[in-house]
Amino acid sequence: MRLVIGRFMAAAALAALSFSPTLHAQEFKFFDRTVQVHGFGSQGYVKTDGNNWLTMNTSDDGSFHMTDVGLNLSSPLIDKLRAGAQVYDHNLGQLGQWHPSLDWAFLDFRAKQWLGFRGGKVKTTVGLFTDTQDLDFLRTFALLPQSVYPIDMRDANIAHSGGDVYGRVPLAQRMGKLDYTVWSGHRNDSMHGGYAYFLQYHGTVENSYGGLQYGGDVRWETPVKGLLLGISRLDEDLIGIGTRAGLPNVEKTKKDFTNQFFGQYIHKNLEIDSEFKRQYRDHILRNGTAEDQGNLHAWYVAGSYRLFKRVSAGSYYSHYTATSTFNKILDTDLPDGHVYDKAITGRVDINRFWNVKVEGHFMDGYALASFPEGFYPQQNQTFASTTNGLVMKTGFNF
Amino acid sequence: MKNKKLFSMLAALVFVASSPIFAADVKVIANPSVSATSVSSGDIQSVFLLDKDSLGGSHVQPVLVKGGAAHEAFLKEYLGKNDSALQAFYRSLVFTGKASMPKSVANDAEVVAYVAKTKGAVGYVSAAASTEGVKTLEVK
Repeated sequence: MRLVIGRFMAAAALAALSFSPTLHAQEFKFFDRTVQVHGFGSQGYVKTDGNNWLTMNTSDDGSFHMTDVGLNLSSPLIDKLRAGAQVYDHNLGQLGQWHPSLDWAFLDFRAKQWLGFRGGKVKTTVGLFTDTQDLDFLRTFALLPQSVYPIDMRDANIAHSGGDVYGRVPLAQRMGKLDYTVWSGHRNDSMHGGYAYFLQYHGTVENSYGGLQYGGDVRWETPVKGLLLGISRLDEDLIGIGTRAGLPNVEKTKKDFTNQFFGQYIHKNLEIDSEFKRQYRDHILRNGTAEDQGNLHAWYVAGSYRLFKRVSAGSYYSHYTATSTFNKILDTDLPDGHVYDKAITGRVDINRFWNVKVEGHFMDGYALASFPEGFYPQQNQTFASTTNGLVMKTGFNF
Repeated sequence: MKNKKLFSMLAALVFVASSPIFAADVKVIANPSVSATSVSSGDIQSVFLLDKDSLGGSHVQPVLVKGGAAHEAFLKEYLGKNDSALQAFYRSLVFTGKASMPKSVANDAEVVAYVAKTKGAVGYVSAAASTEGVKTLEVK
């Protein structure tokens, strides 16, 4: 274990020393337009006791199969019109598997401060971090609270192919500002994501999973300096097409919605975030021969503090419960109906572009309802009721 | 009564002495193409938080300094964020495609030079800096 940590720290330090002088955003001219190039990447190491976690074999020597990279180009075309695209690739245990995806690519026309339009493949604005969940350099934590932002299910709601209408409206009498986003589009899940992988254990191989999603997000920058409050709503109409025992198999949404309430308070070096998410999911399974009603409740409270210019620390409590009528998981007090996670993190910024994080997780439960929550039967022949985890991560951005 | 007045003056003096940074230490400057001559502090905040891209009908783009007293004063007075929070804010927009990273330069002289030659550019410099070739915006 000491050897692994030593190697990880040595690799992080070496990488930082080797690459930091060249880590600067690049710009070039294309038809008289300035094009900016930005990128990010991270490498993680995860070790657990109890269960294997996040489709990795984490309980023996731990796993380094936690890597992601992103690269984007963007440019203003005319005064109010911008264009850009980002490619993203990752490997997380059995997920991702280095299949690159177009993370976002769109045209953005901001007619007024209070009215803008985006069209193309657009990051979905739900809650505080859905659209920025891959960007771990923005926050103290190595893993966001997994109850609301499960890294193994990242591709589920992260983007849609369609459009947004958005804007910011100052409120009268110094009542703050309202940001709104309304969207509609098509969700198209990766076949290398957590849900598709989870279904494989149950004998279903998905060829496609996705469909219409629409919703909105309103966030209020209150008159209390640093305090943000918001609410998001997401409705989905999904279909999964694949095979089961060699025969065609279809899964369809009967009803699927998510409500998310959130608040954030930032004061000097202190940041406190909290969210509550409720998802109800009624799906018709196995060509109409079965039905699953799933009910998910998740919330967390997270706090972080910048102790020194380059050092910050944080902690959160993340609470997840889910039921599934099809899988007969109805009692959320049992370990297959919940994951309660206490996490504590330290972050050191080696320089402006490079950081190292160390995070401890103390988890109760392994939740196996309608969809996974970090723990998969493929890596766990039997489940322990508790899991302690160590996550070390180093990341860069430019 | 006399003691109270003396105490008030002393308190004011201590406050002034202990506050190293003031709005008066910073000038907000713009390229002459920007039609506005005066702006509100809310306008300044909106422009530098990439919320607003026009002032007085002119398209504008912010330019920042990478560090220093004027930068710290500007952040404190107008944006209410420290430098690391501001950089995180910009990166959250850049990596979700919602904005491009604003131009940032090394010092006052480079800000003035960039603002002078770039249509719509709005920046800030220390009060003592020469602002030849640019206009100084009055902040209400």
